[in-house]
Order: sequence, then structure tokens, then C-alpha cells
Amino acid sequence: MLLELSSVSRRFGGLLAVADLSMTVEPGTIHGLIGPNGAGKSTVFNLITGVIPLTAGEILFKRARISGLRPSEICRRGVARTFQATALFREYTVLQNVLIGAHLLAAPGLAPALFRSRSYRERERQARGRGRALLESLGLGAVASQVAGQLPHRDQKALALAMALATGAELVILDEPLAGLTAQERAETTGVLRRLREQGTTVLLVEHDMKAVMGVCDTVTVLDHGVRIAGGTPREIQTNPAVIEAYLGVEEPGA
Amino acid sequence: MEPSKAEALSPTVGIAVIALAAGALPLVTRDSYYLDVATTILMNLTLTMSFRLQVSTGQINMAHISFMGIGAYASALLVTRLGWSFWATLWIGALVAALLAVPIGSVALRVSGPYYFLITFAFSEVVRLFFNNFFEGLFGGPSGLVGIPKPGRLLGLTFDGKLALYWLMAVLCVIVVVTLVRLDYSRFGLTAGAIRQADLVVETLGVNVFRFKLTTFVLGSFVAGLAGVFFAHYRQVLHSSDFGLEPMVLLVVFTVIGGTGSVWGPVVGTILMTIASELLRELHHYEILVFGAVLILTMLFAPEGLVALPGAARRLLRRLRGRAAEPAGVGLAP
Repeated sequence: MLLELSSVSRRFGGLLAVADLSMTVEPGTIHGLIGPNGAGKSTVFNLITGVIPLTAGEILFKRARISGLRPSEICRRGVARTFQATALFREYTVLQNVLIGAHLLAAPGLAPALFRSRSYRERERQARGRGRALLESLGLGAVASQVAGQLPHRDQKALALAMALATGAELVILDEPLAGLTAQERAETTGVLRRLREQGTTVLLVEHDMKAVMGVCDTVTVLDHGVRIAGGTPREIQTNPAVIEAYLGVEEPGA
Repeated sequence: MEPSKAEALSPTVGIAVIALAAGALPLVTRDSYYLDVATTILMNLTLTMSFRLQVSTGQINMAHISFMGIGAYASALLVTRLGWSFWATLWIGALVAALLAVPIGSVALRVSGPYYFLITFAFSEVVRLFFNNFFEGLFGGPSGLVGIPKPGRLLGLTFDGKLALYWLMAVLCVIVVVTLVRLDYSRFGLTAGAIRQADLVVETLGVNVFRFKLTTFVLGSFVAGLAGVFFAHYRQVLHSSDFGLEPMVLLVVFTVIGGTGSVWGPVVGTILMTIASELLRELHHYEILVFGAVLILTMLFAPEGLVALPGAARRLLRRLRGRAAEPAGVGLAP
């Protein structure tokens, strides 16, 4: 397995947002994390990427513990993410946004930037080439030099994905990649996700659009009130009584 | 060529203009008053540019002036008490400021926004009161540290006159300008601006934001310390109030009026405001009222600083011209 959460809990004051959650993500799959509002899905993402610390449990990536590390270190190990409210560098151009993501390619430290060593220039050139190729593949090639804050919603979503991919991550964690998109744009995005899977990138996503999740995901984990109530293939999930109860509620007998 | 500044001034041209202007000034005048003003401009420029380096990551370090003071006192004491050479303490003083910036920055950069502003402000008051009230035999207490010698001879050159000191400051300033401009036009500057816009996103993209901010804090403090050493041996007298709130506020005003969004902002702001400060000299302490008013007006009408005005004017002009060409006013893409 690529990612493993074992008995992960997170408490906010009196609220147990995530309770004793264990789940695994297999490499080369698209894994969906679903659940009603307030189920703790975004909290799980924040825990995996180190944005907030765990209260208990541990998270392993490629069998090495990543819980407790800084978000930047977790990214360096190969886990990148997008945010629910699309987070971009709004004043920068599209290409500059991707270049921040591609910085792992760049020479670290002050001295190379100051003296413009040959290796610095070479690595910057590579980063830019890779950034451009990435933008092309996500349909952003034409807007590469536009300011990110002025892009339409669909392009901002795609750019956020491009930034995460630019880090070279093996696992990308997407918080509602389809939210606010038209039916056609959703189809395009799910196409992109399938292509990523073919290229060997593992995807973990939170999404509300049940139809899209069931269509694109290989495995699904269902959360409710911070507790994992089901897991399995989309087909298994759709017929699981606990899931149906969480989403639709169950009529009291005789009511 | 760098991706970060598509529209802005080329770094080489900007550096060349500053270096040429600094080099040409003694050809125009050797009047001691004008040389003094020019030296002050260059000294202020090293301070505002290093301050802006930190602002570029979104941190307003209200203790920047304190690191100038630490460099100044360190060098003054090493030269007067231990008889060390200015040419060694010039770098040692700056290094002392940078070394002290490591623990101070490590604590202060745990917080951000208004909390960072307050914690650095508190630190600057601690430093000022320390120089004022402690070890009076060493720092000179309220009456100041006096009798600091001018820089000694170097390679057969003497540094007694205003002109020689001007040249020294000009060389130091150009080194600082070249360093900070090159950094700003590199991936380093790109990352700094990204941190200002959305630091959590930068962190999740693999950049250790804390370490990055600390690097800018330490580097900025080194440059402030360097300016402080020069200041000590140029003025030959140090008072704790030289590194208090008032000069710090001026430093902020100079930088913000020029514009913090561009590396050239502090250049514009410092030159204009140092000259303005000289013209307003008769107002004494009321000058800060005038600067306060100018700051408010800038924030209202040119929030990105004076350096952003030509670009804004160009955009306005283009829009007006575009409207003239297309009387229908249909918003066609260019």
C-alpha cells in the first residue's frame, strides 16, 4: 500500500472530528473519500498533509511515518494536495504558479540564485520546460502568461492540480476537484484523473458529486461523524445499508 | 529573462543606473552638505532594501532598526575598547547582527501578521532600553557612546574626508543592491512573493516556509548590521534613540511610499523621502507628522507605492486609447 492511516484521531476541543480512522490507499488507484457534510473529510486531508497535527494514531507513506512532519517535508516525500477553496498565487502568472510547485527541481539555497551558476540556470530551464508541458497537458497552455487571479473557475481548478503535480508527487490529494464545474468540465476533469492513474500517479479525492465518484474511483471510503462506516468498491458502497442510512436516513419502523 | 518580473525593469539596467548615479554624484558636487545627504541616502537605501526583503515574504519586522544598532554598537565597542580595525569590524559587526537574528527570528517567526509586528516591536524596545540603561560604562547610557573613530587606512587610502566616506558607502550600497536585486529576480524572490500571497500553499508545495522566512530575516539583519557599522563610524556618536521607534517608523514610511511590491520601490521611496526629510529639517520632530500624512495619502491613492504609478498610468492610458479606437466600447480581447 502507498498510504496507510492507522487509528488516526483528531480532536477539536470537545469535538472528535476524526475518530480512530484506519484506511489504506493502494498505489495506482483513484480513491474516493466521501461522506455527508461535517463528516471530517477535509480534516483527514489536513492530517495527511501535516497542515494540522494528529491527536492520536499514525500515518505511513511508503511504509515510512509522515505524521508529525512539516507539510513541506511531507510534500518532499511525495504527497501533494489542492485546497477546497482554490488556493493560488493570484498575482502571479499561471506559469509562475506552476514554477513554485516545481521548485523541488530547482537548486536549493541562496548562493545558486545569487551567482546564477550554470546548474542553477539549467535546472530553472528544466523546471520551466516541465511546467509548460504540464500546463499543455491540462489545457492551460494558452493562458500560461495570464495572471492566475483573473482565470475562469475551471482554469483555476486545473491550475491548482497542475501545481500539485509539478512537485512530482506520487500521491495527489484533491479536495473537491469537481465542485462548481459544469457537466462537460466535470467529464474533462475525470478524464484527466484517469490519465493520471494510467501514468502511475495515485489520486485521493474528496467529492460530493456521488455519480462522478462512483464513476471514476476504484475504491471508496465513507466517513460519517469522523468514523469510517464503510469501504470498498463503488458497487459495494452503493448497496451498503450503513451508507444509505448515513446519506438518506432510515425510516423508523412503523413511523 | 526571469519569469518573476515580466513587465518590470531589467535588473541589470536598474543596477547600472544606481551604480552610475552613485559614481557620478562626486563629479557634480563635492559640497560637504550634499555629500552628506547623498551618503545618508545610500545608507538609508541599504536599510530600506533589506527591510523590504523581509516585507516581500509578508513580514513587517519592526526590529529591523535594532539590528542596525547591534551592528553599530558591536563595531564601535570592538574598535574603541579592543582596538580592532574598522575593516574587520565592518563585517564582524554585521555578522553579530546576523547571528543574533537567528534566535530572535526563530522565536518571532513562530507567529505572523499583527502578532509578529508586536513581538518585533517589543524586541526593538528591549534593545533600545538595553543600550540606554544597562552597562552605562560600555554603551554610554543616555548621553551616548562617543569618540568612535573614523575608518582607518586601507590600501594606502584614508577615510577622513566626506568624499572618501561617500565612496565607501557607495561601494557597500552597490554590493547590497546587486545582491538583493539578483535575489529578487531569482526563484528566491518568486518564492518570497508566493509566501506573501498564500504561505500555507507554498508550504504544502514543499517549501519550508519557516526556514525561508528565517533566511530572509538573518540576511536582512546582516545588511542592517552593515549599515549600522558604517553609521557608527560615520557619525562617530551613537545614541540609543538612533535605533528607536522614530527612525524605524521612517524606515517603514520610506519603504512603503516607494512600494513594497517591487525591489525598486525602496529605491524610489528612499531617494525622494531622504531629500524631503532634508527640506523639512526645520520642522524638527513635526516632520514625522508630514510623513504620516504622506503615508496615509499614499495608502489611499497609490497603495502599491510610487513605483507602481507609471504602470498604472500606462494601463489607464491604454484603456483610454482603446476606448477611443473602439467607440462601441465592446470588450473585445486584444
